[in-house]
Amino acid sequence: MIEIYDLRRIYRMGNVEVRALDGVTLTIEKGEFLGITGASGSGKTTLLHLLGLLDLPTSGRVIVDGLDILGLTEYEKTMFRLYKLGYVFQDYALVPDLTVLENVSLPAMLRKDRTEEQVKKDSYGILQRIGLCDRKDHLPRELSGGQQQRVSIARAMVNRPDILFADEPCANLDSENSRMVLDLFHEINEELHQTIVMVSHEDWHKDYFHRIVRLKDGKVVSDGKNETRHG
Amino acid sequence: MGKKELKVAFLLALRSLQRGSRSSVILTILIIAMCFTNMVFLPGIFNGIGQSITAQIVDYETGNVLVSPKSGEQYVTDLDAVLDLINGMPGVERATPHYSKAATLKYRGRVLGVSVRVIKPGDEKFVSPLYSKIIAGSYLGEDDTGEIIIGKPVAGDRTVKQEDEFQPSLGGVQVGDSITLEYGPGYSREYRVKGIYSTGWYSADNTVYTTWSDMEGVEGRTLDRAEYITVRTKPGYTEKFIKNELEQYGVSESVSTMSDLLEKGMGRALQSFAIINMVSLIVGVIITTVVLFIVITIKTINSRKQIGILRAIGVDKEVIMHNYGLQVVILAVLGIFFGALLTFVLSLYMTAHPIVTPEWSATLYLTPMDYVTNSLILFAASVVAGYVPAWQVSREDIQSAMRA
Repeated sequence: MIEIYDLRRIYRMGNVEVRALDGVTLTIEKGEFLGITGASGSGKTTLLHLLGLLDLPTSGRVIVDGLDILGLTEYEKTMFRLYKLGYVFQDYALVPDLTVLENVSLPAMLRKDRTEEQVKKDSYGILQRIGLCDRKDHLPRELSGGQQQRVSIARAMVNRPDILFADEPCANLDSENSRMVLDLFHEINEELHQTIVMVSHEDWHKDYFHRIVRLKDGKVVSDGKNETRHG
Repeated sequence: MGKKELKVAFLLALRSLQRGSRSSVILTILIIAMCFTNMVFLPGIFNGIGQSITAQIVDYETGNVLVSPKSGEQYVTDLDAVLDLINGMPGVERATPHYSKAATLKYRGRVLGVSVRVIKPGDEKFVSPLYSKIIAGSYLGEDDTGEIIIGKPVAGDRTVKQEDEFQPSLGGVQVGDSITLEYGPGYSREYRVKGIYSTGWYSADNTVYTTWSDMEGVEGRTLDRAEYITVRTKPGYTEKFIKNELEQYGVSESVSTMSDLLEKGMGRALQSFAIINMVSLIVGVIITTVVLFIVITIKTINSRKQIGILRAIGVDKEVIMHNYGLQVVILAVLGIFFGALLTFVLSLYMTAHPIVTPEWSATLYLTPMDYVTNSLILFAASVVAGYVPAWQVSREDIQSAMRA
């Protein structure tokens, strides 16, 4: 479970103060597929970055399964990201010099509790799940956008994280590939009870979410269950 | 940092080099190889000159150990006893006396002042390779009288006009020719030229050699004195050991090793060489450091977003730092390897085609220790140059890196 208390992020640009996030309080349940929506500049990505420990808040607390994650040291935050979190970026963010298999294996290779055999098995397993086993030796530039995003999801999932963050994962995809990616998230959520927090500004994506939180000017303006959920 | 982290850092480094810009990798390796060559070439040539001069001084001037007259005296006296004593010592290959006399050579109207070196040809063979440098005729026999061997520059060349000569000569003496040696006012003697030699050592080539027996005839008495005695050591015996031994066994003459003499005679020159070598080394190291610093800085700046992403997915900053550091390590190892290879090929070429001057001939002289030392220095400089920008970029916060 993720508990967020009065989370604020204020940027200073010269004399101007920008309140990117202005006192967000939320609770995200385990196994939930949460959609964060809102207009551009509403604070969606800022919230995701703070939850994913990619940025520091100006104030507030984030507690994950009883652990105040903002109080961790830098190294502990890195390990928390490695062991507990998965992150899917808008622009796939794959390492261009690594093959599909190497990209997917990378986070697993760093885990101290995984043997080489396990890393290999997990990586092949997840590649099979996303249907890209036959492209394992290809470089990211040799794949389509949809395929790259599936690899990005596989990389985020290989360590079986507690929480998966996805920052507008379909922003650069056509509707067919977007649906493929969202179906994959849906499967992961349904079969593995994976907590997923996804930022989106596409209206039709909400069909996949259990719950939708809408932000405006850094504040939560609506938070409710999605009654029209897909599947 | 654990084994797994190092493995991931190495994988990232290797793949970046394998699949990144090939021209940049080749250029960087080439620069390091050139820097290595630059670092070792000039010192290697100086070492070669030094080695060449040292070897020729040993061969034609002093031997490994030089026994010269006591202070205030002109000659080593009681020669036979001294020679017997030295030759009987362990580690001494052979000791041979030298005596010299100024003379004027006359041949077909040409007149040339030279120093006549008097040797015992049999013993001299064990101390100096002069006998193997005969280019026409033959070497002196032990009891030869009225015969001399002369250096090629002294003999001269008949096809070169006198005014065109590099140095004065007898204008083309040939083996079997007769030349006149005038030892002093009113005393001259006819000699047959038995051989002409060319050693490549200026001093030896501008000398005329005759035998001990002949000089005894000139002087009209037994020659039981020498200007100095040159001693050749047996393999495995150091000059220092022989010097100590000679002093302990009661050789009362002045005993110097070749190193002592070299230090006295060439100390300044060696110091100058050392300064030039040091400057060359420092320049090479600075160039390599700056070039690698720039290469890795550009690489890290271009990869800032990727660095941010790696950190976002849980890759520790130390892994990222070592990724770039290891790239430099791999580039440095390859660059040094190719630099060493290039230098080795150059040294082989120069062994076959040495730099030849009238004074000395030199090759590129590099010991395994030179290779090791320069490799380590260059490697250390490369690692510093690579790790500094890698460390800087790995410290950047994730947000700034990802926004790049």
